[in-house]
Amino acid sequence: MNILIAADWGNQYTDTGWFGIFVTLTVCTFILVNIFRSNQRTAKGGQLYVRRIQGLNAIDEAVGRATEMGRPILMIPGISSLGPVVVQALNIFSYITRIAGKFATPILLCCADAATYTVAQETIRDVYQTEGIGDKFDQDSVRFISDRQFAFAAGVSGLILRDQVAAAFFMGDFYAESLIFAETANSVGAIQIASSTQTTQTPFFIASCDYVLIGDEFYAASAYLTRQPVLTGSLVGQDWSKIMVALLVICGALWTSFDLGIFHRNKTSIVKKDSQWQILPAPRRVKDSDTFMSHLFNPQSDPALQNTIHRETLPSLTTESGQ
Amino acid sequence: MILASFWVNQSGSIWLFVKLILAFIVPLAIFYGIKDASPGVRRAIIGATFFLTGLVYVLYLIWPKPIHRQPNEIPQNFSESVGFFVSDTVPVAADVANIVATFLLGLGVFSVIKIHSEKLARRHRDWPFSLVLIGSMLLMVIFGYWNYYLKNYTPAGPSLGNPANWTFPSFAEDFLFNGLYQQMEAAMFSLIAFFILSAAYRAFRIRSIEATVLLGTALLLVLRTMTVVSQLWADAPFVRDHPNMQLESIAKWLPNTFQSSSIRGVDFGVGIGLLAMALRLWLSLEKQGQGA
Repeated sequence: MNILIAADWGNQYTDTGWFGIFVTLTVCTFILVNIFRSNQRTAKGGQLYVRRIQGLNAIDEAVGRATEMGRPILMIPGISSLGPVVVQALNIFSYITRIAGKFATPILLCCADAATYTVAQETIRDVYQTEGIGDKFDQDSVRFISDRQFAFAAGVSGLILRDQVAAAFFMGDFYAESLIFAETANSVGAIQIASSTQTTQTPFFIASCDYVLIGDEFYAASAYLTRQPVLTGSLVGQDWSKIMVALLVICGALWTSFDLGIFHRNKTSIVKKDSQWQILPAPRRVKDSDTFMSHLFNPQSDPALQNTIHRETLPSLTTESGQ
Repeated sequence: MILASFWVNQSGSIWLFVKLILAFIVPLAIFYGIKDASPGVRRAIIGATFFLTGLVYVLYLIWPKPIHRQPNEIPQNFSESVGFFVSDTVPVAADVANIVATFLLGLGVFSVIKIHSEKLARRHRDWPFSLVLIGSMLLMVIFGYWNYYLKNYTPAGPSLGNPANWTFPSFAEDFLFNGLYQQMEAAMFSLIAFFILSAAYRAFRIRSIEATVLLGTALLLVLRTMTVVSQLWADAPFVRDHPNMQLESIAKWLPNTFQSSSIRGVDFGVGIGLLAMALRLWLSLEKQGQGA
């Protein structure tokens, strides 16, 4: 017997479960619309404005210093596995490699993840070939050190000390090893530019490095450096999204304050439980969990609804095959 | 024959064999296709693969998920069919990613061996370090697999859980991993304490208003951990009348109220940046390697 209640399908959207998906799709729309706008504007000869980022301006200075000293440039794309963060770090590193390659300055790119190592090697080789200096590419300049956190830290620290790097770029996901890298590089007098998407590590970088890209400046880097319309458009889309988030925060704070009343004095006689409103035996003071914003960000599911589903099933595979 | 899912087949069925053969041939064809294709075609193949794989995860987020799904359940309409298919595909896609990552790990190990073998062979500067690295790697592989074999493929295997029954390979693996490697890792980690001190010294030197604020804040947090100072502060007449001014309360207020709001702001930016980056990669808008 098949009983399928239409409302059951899509139970994840009941209550306020749709809100997270709605916000995600809105952010995606902002980004795509702005990429389109940016392409249009570039076609007409215009360009979107990107504010000055000091840490990125210092890249040329750091590479120039390494060139003058004849010492290598160290680049580390964090210790996370291959993903958007690492790809963004490699984007920045390919820009650095392009400048370094022009002056035949040696580079060292150390990876803690095998997949990152493979992609990094191809990326750097591609940069050298695009610049017409493929013969200058040293395969050993991109290295896999270890996928264990502190073995990697020890390996990179050893390289910094032995090769006396002149400039160090730490971009990506870093954890406890961040300070080991930064302080070791500082001890050999290297100019350091760092950025971590891990907010817990940013203070360590700020304390020990010369320049730090904070938060989403890391993602703005490739747009800032190349001014490609797709990247600048995406950056403007991110800004729109941040404005939306800021408005949500402000409205949410006001709404919650209104729900709670002055000094949390408002009272309620109904509460939402299992996505249904229920009347309380006696009114009580409004709790944080009773507010609209709390409901919006903590969707409730109805267990009773889930138990109503009875669908047809196949005979089990093992029974059918006679095992 | 009825199929419960595209990814599940009866043991010994024709469809299972057909799919296994296809699963072997198709990736090989793609591999050789990519290898011999022009850069434009290669980019298109990679872009299409990226898009299709990403689409599974996007659908997993936005498509209604099967509720209370039973094993071997039959989808009842198009929406359910897609929901079932997507839910079944996600673990398969994750498995494929793991298999590819395993191959890449081999490449990583190859890189390490190649660089250090060359260093050894040509007696480059610091070659003894390379010797230690390759020697350690070989020893760990030999004793690791030897012990693994004894544990899993010999009659004495189950008893090796008890150190009293250990033989030479078990002792050797334990010595190399727990006795040496773990201790060296702990030593590297403990170095951070000294690095924090030297970094803090540089950061806290009063050079600007920001550095002074940082110094003052750090000082408060450090003083909070000193019981004598905390107690003296708590006994001060002004603090006795205003409990919120106790060192403990201030030290909690700083990270919980003052700092966490700033960090959340940064986190919002990072999250949106990550989403934008992932979107560009998924739709092949990011020209990696040429972009920057």
